[in-house]
Order: sequence, then C-alpha cells, then structure tokens
Amino acid sequence: MHVKHGIAVSPGVVTGEVLVLGTEDFRIPQRFVSIDAVESELGRFRNTLETVWSEIKENERLASDRLGDQFGAIFGAHLQMARDPKLIAEIEQLISERSFSPEYACSRVLRRFAGELQNLGNQYHAERAVDIFDLEKRILRHLLGQRREELVHLTAPVIVLAHNLTPSETASLDRKFVLGFATEVGGRTSHTAILAGALEIPAVVGLGHFLADVSGGEMVIIDGNHGEVILDPDEETLAQYRELEQQVHSVSERLASLKTLPAETIDGTRIALWGNIEFPEEAEVCQGHGAEGIGLYRTEFLYLETNQIPSEEDHYQAYRKVISAYPDHPVTIRTLDIGADKVPETHDEIGDDIVNPVLGLRSVRLSLHNLPLFKIQLRAILRAAVDGDVRVMFPLVSNLLELRQARMILSDVMDDLEEQQIPFRRDVPVGIMVEVPAAVMLAEEFAREVDFFSIGTNDLIQYTLAVDRADPSVAALYRPGDPSILRLIRAVIIAAAKYDVPVTVCGQMSSDPMFIPLLVGMGIRKFSSTPHAIPELKEVIRNLTIEQAEQIAEHAESLDLARDVENYLRGELNRICPDLVF
Amino acid sequence: MNQTAQQTVRVDLEQGLHMVPCSLIARTAERFPCEIHIQKEDRSADAKTMLDLLTLSAENGSMLVLQASGEEARAAVDALARLFESNFSDTDPGSNC
Repeated sequence: MHVKHGIAVSPGVVTGEVLVLGTEDFRIPQRFVSIDAVESELGRFRNTLETVWSEIKENERLASDRLGDQFGAIFGAHLQMARDPKLIAEIEQLISERSFSPEYACSRVLRRFAGELQNLGNQYHAERAVDIFDLEKRILRHLLGQRREELVHLTAPVIVLAHNLTPSETASLDRKFVLGFATEVGGRTSHTAILAGALEIPAVVGLGHFLADVSGGEMVIIDGNHGEVILDPDEETLAQYRELEQQVHSVSERLASLKTLPAETIDGTRIALWGNIEFPEEAEVCQGHGAEGIGLYRTEFLYLETNQIPSEEDHYQAYRKVISAYPDHPVTIRTLDIGADKVPETHDEIGDDIVNPVLGLRSVRLSLHNLPLFKIQLRAILRAAVDGDVRVMFPLVSNLLELRQARMILSDVMDDLEEQQIPFRRDVPVGIMVEVPAAVMLAEEFAREVDFFSIGTNDLIQYTLAVDRADPSVAALYRPGDPSILRLIRAVIIAAAKYDVPVTVCGQMSSDPMFIPLLVGMGIRKFSSTPHAIPELKEVIRNLTIEQAEQIAEHAESLDLARDVENYLRGELNRICPDLVF
Repeated sequence: MNQTAQQTVRVDLEQGLHMVPCSLIARTAERFPCEIHIQKEDRSADAKTMLDLLTLSAENGSMLVLQASGEEARAAVDALARLFESNFSDTDPGSNC
C-alpha cells in the first residue's frame, strides 16, 4: 500500500481499478489469464517480442541510413534492451507461474526497471526511464493489436491516473466510466481542476512523480476531500473508505433535498448563491444544484476548444444557451481571460518569447491589444443580452485606464450595432474582477466607475502571495486564509460600500464551506462557486446567524498566521455543520 | 576447458556507462558461452543484460572489474576490455543518448 499526497481539487471518495493514461492511451484489459491459457499466452508473448525486435531493427537501419550510425546506435540499444535475457525471463516467469497476462507482466516488469533507474539518484538514469516506457508502449501496442482501448471507448468503470490531463481531455471524460482521476502535475486553479469540479468526480492533482510504480489494473482509492491517493490499499483501508464513500453519498443526498429551499441565514438574511461555469452545458448542472444565477461564465473554452478564433456566432450561440437556462437571473459573462500563448492566431504575433505568461499579455490586456478579437466577443454578449439579465465583466484589470478603454470599446461596439440595426441591450451592467492587488489599492477609484466587483480569489491569492499553485514545490504556500488576503478582501468591501457597489466573491475560496461564515461576517452577500459546492454552502448559510458570522470574521481577522486562520475556521465550520467536515 | 579471467578497466566516457555502451557490452558478452560479470565496488551486474548494467550507474572515471568463468573466459574478458580501451568509439553517439 502506497499513500500519495496531492492537492484536492474535486471532493468525494472513490475506489476502483486503475487506468494509467500515457501519451498513448493503453489500457490493460485483463490482468490474469486462466491456467490452461498460459501456454498460448507465452506463445503470444514470444511472437510479439519477435515482431518488436524486427520493428526496432528496421528503425535502427532507417536511422543509420538517414541520420548516421550514431543515431542508429540508439535503436541498437533499444533492441538490446528488448532482448535482455533477464527481462524476458522475468516476464515469462510471471506469465507461467502467476498466470499474469502478457500485457500486465510486461508492464509490471518494465515499470519496475524504470523505477529502479529513477531511484538511482542520477539525472541521466532517471531520464532513461523514458526509453523503458517507450519500449513498454511498443510491446503493448503489438500485444494489444486491435484490442487497444482508447479513453473514449471505455466499457467498464476505472480511475484514471495520468501525468497530466489537458482541459479538453478532462472535459471528454465519460462520467459513466471515469470514477475519478489523479495527476502528477496541476494545481487547484488549473482548468483541469475546475473541470473536474464541474464533472463532479473526485480528483487529486499535483501528486508529483508516482506513475512509474503503477502499471494499471490494480486497486486505487482517490480521496478528493483530503487530496490523497492510495495505491494497492490493504483490506482494512479499503473497507474504511468504502464506508466513507457511503457516508459522503448519504450527506450529498440529504444536501440535494435543500435544492428548493432559499439560501437564508437563521435570522433571515438572503445570500445569493451563483454558479461558476466553463461550458454552456454546465448551466443545467447549476440549476440542478439550486444556483440562482451564473456569477462567472468563463469564456476561455471557446478559444481553447478549436484551433481557430471563434466567430461572433460561436460566442452568441454559447451565450444564448446559458441564458436560456437562466432567462430571468443574472448571467455574468467574463471576457477572455487567458494568455496570448493560448489563443490561436495571436500566438504567431507574439511569438515564443513569453518569459512569464502569468505576468504577460493576457486577459483584458490581450483584449485591448487585439481589438478585433475583443469586439467580436463584446458584440455577441450585447446581442445575447437582449434575452436575459446579462452582465459583462473584465478580468485582470490593474489600472483605471484599462477599465476606461474597455468601456470605450464597449460603447463603440454599441454604436456599430445600432448603426447596423442589430438588436442589442444597452444597459448591460459592467463590472471588473478584482484580482490584482493594484485594483484593491485603487478599489475606491474603481468603485466610482463600475456597476459591480467580483473578487477573483484564485488570482488575487496568486499575485499577492507570489505563489503558483500549479507548482508542487510551492503549492503549500498558497493559503486563502492568509491574513493579507483577508485584509485585501476587507479593503474591497469597505471601498465598495462607499459607492453602493455590490461585491461578489468567486474563485475556489467561495466554494469552500469553511470560508463562508468568515466572508458573510465580513459583509459578502453574493457568492459564485463551483456548482457542486452550492448545496454545502447553502447548508452552512442556513445554520448561521449574521451576528455569529460577524464574530467569526472579527476573530479570524485578529489572527496573524494563515494556519491559525484556517484551523479556526475549520473548527467553527465543524460546530456549525459537523457532517461537512470529513 | 573451464577457465577464469579477470581484468580491471576504467570508464572514460563523459556521460559514464550510458545506454549505448551498455548495449554494446551486452551484445559483445552474449557471443560468449561463459558467465561474465562486471563489478563496481559492491555491485555486480550480469554483462549479458543491459538493464543490469545500467543499474551499475558507472560514472566517468569509475573502475570496473570484468570477471568471466567458463568456456572462452579469457577471450570474453579481452573482447570487453577492448571495448573500454577503444572508448566504445565505433558507435558512440555522444552525450545525448
């Protein structure tokens, strides 16, 4: 049994069989074969090996001819590895003595060798593990032949383990068969993590290196509440987690019954609970969880999904879909919030010289830098707004000029639409994401010129604490409970109150029930969170009084360590809603 | 005619005993019927298996003992020693492999 610790990004507990996802997605369909099949399986293995040898020899010849003998020698080494007598003996032994399927036996043995090399503590050898994985893939490809199963063609439930999953891979996971996933890289605020939350499957990311120890097919437990992955659990642990799985399930069933009840404190204060979405389809998920609107519609997926700039019609259709789910409730559309490196076509213009994308040409800066791109999106938003309560929100605003320029472009677009006699809505509220410390410092000045603020805690924490959560070596320094963050939020609330500007909190912090009493106590009345968190947040709110929340905020704000703040808040949550603390 | 043979060699490769030299040792060793081991301090590797050889993690400058026992033991050790003496130069792809 191995326990690995990572970052919990999507709650829940799940137990199942491992599917390791490489760059080529092989799935080992069967770990064991029956005793009478052993002979024929051994034969299948030997035939495959011979095919693999001749394939490598052909590669060696090609490489030598075209590139020179020294490159051919690399394949010569691969061939020698594939012919290694010790390797072959070990694999054959597992097949004949333990009835392992050839696929499972190869994977096991090669991964063990790879692990040994990685553990020698020498960079060169660690990198050689890649050559072994390459050999593993080569053998599996031949062994599986037509039986190779792709991720999209799953037929049985699995838990996906991968080095990394791209947002689109995550989005394509079939919830029927993918019970949960865990990755070596990634952070709490990565798109992959956000999508996992949206899919409502337990997920842990940022585990660091661990895949070399896993071959696929064994049991694994994903604890998305604590960020733990347990490989090859023993019986006792397994039983313990199965019980927990049940418990979590029954709590979420009870929470689901809150759906139609209002998010209201014991003393009668209404709190708005909105959903964060990435895809239009998620609007329905939000409805299912009782969200009263969309507080953050991230539009990046429109740009990431294809290799083309989305057309005005693409934007319009996506927005229409969300609005049709929420025709009478707020739908807050955030304009493009990614870096130029991720947007097709603009990439060529800026080249590959981006030194630090997080501090580079991104978000509203990119929109203002590329006005045609910006105008396409704004036109679609204004047109779609005809049918609903749409608000437009600019991300990463760091000075007043950016806000004024963005507003100016918005009014230019309105003039164009008017001239072209295309229906649109003129009185669309305009707000900004407050997520750069500079915007907090100037919150009063901004408050005079906007209709609402939305505190984007993910970026605000990243920029304030100078921590990239996706980097496992510093991820632990990313603390929403840091006193500096509390003070910044307080400053925004005070500035906004002077000009009667409503403040929403979005980002991961507003999806964590532990921070709700604090934020309510500080004066926040609107939250936008991952849809699946809404029932929990509602449960907290319905068990809270404003007075109690204010006391909690006052005490939390008097503490000077993130750890103390978070421990205190966890304790308070435990008193308010004991069964939400797992 | 059972015999034993032994010789000490020095690794003179910038990247140490990396993948290609290991494969050349294994390829040479498997041509001989005798048992051949390569020893580095307290670790010993079967010269006919390159995965074993890789785990020796023999860096530049390390001293290795070639040991053979059985038929053609002397010839085997000589053949391997020649590889080291020539610095695997026939097909050494250099530092990146």
